[in-house]
Amino acid sequence: MSLIAFLGALELGLIFGFVALGVYLSFRVLDFPDLTVDGSFPLGAAVAAVWIVGGGSPWLGTGLAMIAGAMAGMVTAWMAVKLKILNLLASILSMIALYSINLRIMGRPNIALLSEPTIFVPLESLPVSRYVAFPAAIAVGLLLVTFLLNRFLNSETGLAMRATGETPRMASGNGINTSVMVLVGMALSNALVALGGALFAQSQGSADVTMGVGTIVVGLAAVIGGQSLIPGRSILVATLACLFGSILYRLMVAVALNADFIGLKAQDLNLVTALLVGLALVLPKLRLRRRPA
Amino acid sequence: MIELDNIHVTFNPGTPLENHVLRGINLRIDNGEFATVIGGNGAGKSTLLNVLAGEVCAQPGRVLIGERDVTRLPAFKRADLVARVYQDPLAGTCGSLTLEENMALACARGRRRGLGSALDSALRGRLQDNLARLGLGLENRLNDSIGLLSGGQRQAVSLLMAALQPMEILLLDEHTAALDPRIASFVLTLSADIIREQRLTALMVTHSMRQALDVGDRTIMMDQGEIAFDVRGEQRQGLDVADLLKLFERARGQEVDDDSLLLG
Repeated sequence: MSLIAFLGALELGLIFGFVALGVYLSFRVLDFPDLTVDGSFPLGAAVAAVWIVGGGSPWLGTGLAMIAGAMAGMVTAWMAVKLKILNLLASILSMIALYSINLRIMGRPNIALLSEPTIFVPLESLPVSRYVAFPAAIAVGLLLVTFLLNRFLNSETGLAMRATGETPRMASGNGINTSVMVLVGMALSNALVALGGALFAQSQGSADVTMGVGTIVVGLAAVIGGQSLIPGRSILVATLACLFGSILYRLMVAVALNADFIGLKAQDLNLVTALLVGLALVLPKLRLRRRPA
Repeated sequence: MIELDNIHVTFNPGTPLENHVLRGINLRIDNGEFATVIGGNGAGKSTLLNVLAGEVCAQPGRVLIGERDVTRLPAFKRADLVARVYQDPLAGTCGSLTLEENMALACARGRRRGLGSALDSALRGRLQDNLARLGLGLENRLNDSIGLLSGGQRQAVSLLMAALQPMEILLLDEHTAALDPRIASFVLTLSADIIREQRLTALMVTHSMRQALDVGDRTIMMDQGEIAFDVRGEQRQGLDVADLLKLFERARGQEVDDDSLLLG
């Protein structure tokens, strides 16, 4: 694999780190399998792209993308909590609805951002290559978000959210409004995913309505894979494991697709992903079986 | 203080599975009173606790806790009034949180939760003092995941957690039933001590007639959703299990036929 391919994979891994944090929040903390992310990732991209193409500030566009993602997450949570629709099903409804909404927002299936003033444009005037500057800048942002997420999950409200996901009865017995916790958590989760989408569109140069397909699987690959390789119950270890998983996943995909002798092509990406996630799900169990209790 | 006014609870009303669990309960428990509630399977003991905790809604009926009408309040809105220990030691604590995080969670019962850090050194000190009284060495394990503790240890911690914040009433729901006898008596003694020290108003549901007489200052027996008898003060002093059985026969006109009740 060339250095450029490696840096490209690293950049994607870092961008999907935001998605991994979002999926960690819904899937692990709230115990809410959330397929909304397949819609909120392109939603973030669409909102940011439309805003930037329309001449708006890319920073504000990225912020608006997060707000749009948060709203999508709240709709899913509201269906699950207030309308009592099974959580997985509620998220599938949101995902499907978002496909139409994203098309409406963009007005066409894709928007090019190659010559637009994205948040990455200032980096292009730096003396270092884009392939180094982009991942470095994204890494800084990602670490900042991870730090804030850790602060939040260790706060009083954060503890309440973690208890809501695991023992909702005990949580409400302690005065926690579990419905509000699910709403807030899902909003936060999808805001992070939409942020990932907005950054993806700006760094890769386009927003496409189909770019969200499989976002949840990539997120799960990062969360499950990362946490099975770096176990540990503390929030800090868990969130860093998700980031590690996200980067590792992209590198593995790049290796698999670049190694000619395996004979894989780009169209095999989803098959490779499914195999990797399946492997990450099964490996920890095999390890347990070998070590008798 | 607890005041229950003509409490009825029916599960699955209007269906073939209709089950009239509570049939007109009237009960008043004064401040500082520690009542034990006994009854066979299906007598309605747990439902009674759930009505008080806000997990089941009385229909019709009126529930007052500390002079506040809480009949329609969901559990989380009356958490400032009610603390509870569950039968299942896994239910009252959150397995993936650490010991100190669980206790910090309980410290905020019935309070607004902010975005500040849940734990600081002052709170840690308070939690350690609290845990030290158990004599289980848990004060040195604040950072352990609570999932690493045994069922008995978790139940003792649940009890401490319930008592961390002020409350109007404490509900103990067969909280020693799932423990082995030695640790069960430890948890029972600890409960009685905490209730006495903090002068709590408490309701303890139990399956064991012996236990119902050994602790507390009032015993209520339930049967088929009604209160069969209610003894306290002098009337209760010197009673043993055989006397309870006689009281039950006199009140209900039949013998106790629940084996688990007789064996407990």
